[in-house]
Amino acid sequence: MKVADTMQVTVSPHLHRRDETISRGMRDVLIALVPVTIWAIVVFGFNVVYIIAVSMISAALSEFVMRKILRRPVTLRDYSALVTALLFALILPPTTPLWVVAIGAFIAIGIAKELFGGLGRNIFNPAIFARVVLWFSPLAVYTQRYVKPFFWKTTGFFSPVATSINEGVAGRVVYKTLAGNPTSLVTAATPLSLFKSGRLLPGMVTGPTPVGATWVTSSGRPSFGSIFLGLKSGSIGEISILLLLLGGIYLIWRGTIDWRIPVGIIGAFFVLILVTWYHPIDNLFAGGLFLGAFFMATDWVTSPVTRRGKWIYAVGIGVTIFIMRFWGARPEGVAIAVFIWNPMTLLIDRYIAKPRFGDVSNPLFFQAPALPKPMPKPAPEKT
Amino acid sequence: MAVNSNHKTFNGGIHPPYNKELASSQPIKVAPVPSEVIIPLSQHIGAPNEALVAPGDKVTVGQKIGGSEAFVSASVHSSVAGTVKAITDITGFTGAKVKAIIIEADPEQPEFEKKTGADLDGITAERVREISREAGLVGMGGAAFPTHVKLAPPKDKAIDTVIINACECEPFLTCDHRLMLERPSDMIAGLKLLMKAVGAKSGIVGIEANKMDAVDEVRKAAEGESGISVEVLEVKYPEGAEKMLIYALSGRKVPPGKLPSEVGCLVQNVGTAIALYEAAAWGKPLYERVLTVTGPGIKQPCNLLAKIGTPISTLVEDCGGFQGEAGKLVMGGPMTGWAQKDTSAPIVKGTSGILVLTADVVDIGEEHECVRCGKCVDTCPMFLLPNYIATCTRAEEWDKAEMYGALDCFECGCCSFVCPAYIPHVTYARKAKAEIAALKKR
Repeated sequence: MKVADTMQVTVSPHLHRRDETISRGMRDVLIALVPVTIWAIVVFGFNVVYIIAVSMISAALSEFVMRKILRRPVTLRDYSALVTALLFALILPPTTPLWVVAIGAFIAIGIAKELFGGLGRNIFNPAIFARVVLWFSPLAVYTQRYVKPFFWKTTGFFSPVATSINEGVAGRVVYKTLAGNPTSLVTAATPLSLFKSGRLLPGMVTGPTPVGATWVTSSGRPSFGSIFLGLKSGSIGEISILLLLLGGIYLIWRGTIDWRIPVGIIGAFFVLILVTWYHPIDNLFAGGLFLGAFFMATDWVTSPVTRRGKWIYAVGIGVTIFIMRFWGARPEGVAIAVFIWNPMTLLIDRYIAKPRFGDVSNPLFFQAPALPKPMPKPAPEKT
Repeated sequence: MAVNSNHKTFNGGIHPPYNKELASSQPIKVAPVPSEVIIPLSQHIGAPNEALVAPGDKVTVGQKIGGSEAFVSASVHSSVAGTVKAITDITGFTGAKVKAIIIEADPEQPEFEKKTGADLDGITAERVREISREAGLVGMGGAAFPTHVKLAPPKDKAIDTVIINACECEPFLTCDHRLMLERPSDMIAGLKLLMKAVGAKSGIVGIEANKMDAVDEVRKAAEGESGISVEVLEVKYPEGAEKMLIYALSGRKVPPGKLPSEVGCLVQNVGTAIALYEAAAWGKPLYERVLTVTGPGIKQPCNLLAKIGTPISTLVEDCGGFQGEAGKLVMGGPMTGWAQKDTSAPIVKGTSGILVLTADVVDIGEEHECVRCGKCVDTCPMFLLPNYIATCTRAEEWDKAEMYGALDCFECGCCSFVCPAYIPHVTYARKAKAEIAALKKR
């Protein structure tokens, strides 16, 4: 009896969980990000809509073209390109020029995802990969200037749409809009850049005056309410911790993401900033920590599959974020931390053991058993 | 599942749609005797049987027609009175060729003569083993492991607990449920015989919480019996898997690659316990069994007492025939059963049901690349890494497949059930198991 023959007849099980598909998981992420996106539009104006739209169109086109070139079936219907595009848009500053967005979305989908082998084979989270690449590229200047909340009150809700940036006047950035008239905007410090400049005196802000930081109270500290609810400078999707929490809890409730990863990341990071007393509460709610912990690090493809692996991965990211924020030259650290730990996933899954049911020993590492080498396949006969 | 939170259970597992209501209220009916039965010579795990009859021979109900000298084997008996027509190779329910005896049934079928006066209380352990061997008893939950082998554990492993597996965690199937409702005292009598055979002091009947009426009946039947208890278990698949059940009921964990006797347990199915009682009290060998014919593609789902060797087609007709657009025909439950090409295969001792799924229920998605969501890892009751077993099998890296636990897979199918990429993990695991076993033999 050949095994292959019996398998031809059937595969059990004969039932499948109906609502369990890749596209369902991806749709869940899109739904979870709706409140965050709407809030971003309110705070940063209609420009956010343009950025997200350009990101999505560029991502979908990249996927389509790359799949055609690489001769793979086009799988736009699994929504994974749209999820990546939305996540990528949400980690950009609200005034990123649209052509930079388009290039970034191509890097995310065309390079980080498709060139690595498509969904399931990418070793980096595509959105994070693109963000980090932009960070270290000549385009960096376009992706690290932040504006204050409701800046559109002075310029109008539907403008400006930035196409280029001039760093002319100190502390100000001149945006050229689509209509052609340059608009001068005040750049604002993000909470994290404030901590960076004032970290030697906890609770106090020293150094340059935080221009345009309307969310800072008279004592120089960011007000808890504004950094938690989302009235601060920052990337498009990172500002409202409340809405990110809402989306994250929705995803956990739907079973799309594992709670261990966000809890591990935020927990490890919080313990470390408590120990060092480095603006514990403010630092927790500032920057991309929640967006990264709930939406970036939980990416199925680039996070470990075992629970033990997830804890290691999550705590690793939490510790790395702390190292980056505390000692790093730049104030932010979430993207880099996720970027570093994404490829670790392969090692964690390969080496960190998961004891089987009933295992008496509890080894930390997997060890492949010694099996005799399989028979070499008979070489095809030469004719 | 809040309803279940108080009941004993294991870690992992899934909650498939159960659909038990299709057949659970149908009393067991005696299926008409078919005009011809096809009895495979080997219906168990172990050494194959030799035919003891020749074409043209007259046989009676319960006559032994196939046997083997080997210890790990179970003899087969004729399920009808009639004439042996042929001994030939047929395609069995697994799709493999098996040797079978085809018997033409006489138009007049005499009743099986029950023996009376058996002394079940004074019976010895040795005698129980003998009876189960003579009667050709096998595990009737599906695996069909010879019962007398299970009843003779290694000398150094004392068995203190006999567990009756009454979970019936497979969706759709209801035959054990009906047996417990209709014959609870026979089952308890069977349990007592099993306890006697291995010298166990305690017996546990494990029933899932979706069969509370059966719990009541069995509790009533077990009243006053010392050492016998009835436990309610959470409704979760695969609660009735041997290792999961032992863990849920006793907290003991059977180590990887070991048998339940390692932790002093013996697990037997409801049907097996009743068959053992019948064999001991009435001298009746295992030639018929209760099974569920059900599914959305069956007109009148029901529970039938059918002769071993009845072709599927006859049983489907007994239940009113097919309805709807044909999808899949499965022998056994939907999670572990074998899909059939046609209705020609006969039922065997291990057949717990015949399931007809219509096209709209069958959900065969396109296989995608694994997205490493980890759902298979979370649901695997053996704590294996199904997605990596599949990946390694595809790459033919058998040592790594074994490292991720291929040999411990018992093919419950939870991983395939939850996989959003529709990866047929069980197929890969089966292949890996076969390849690793072949490598280890060399």
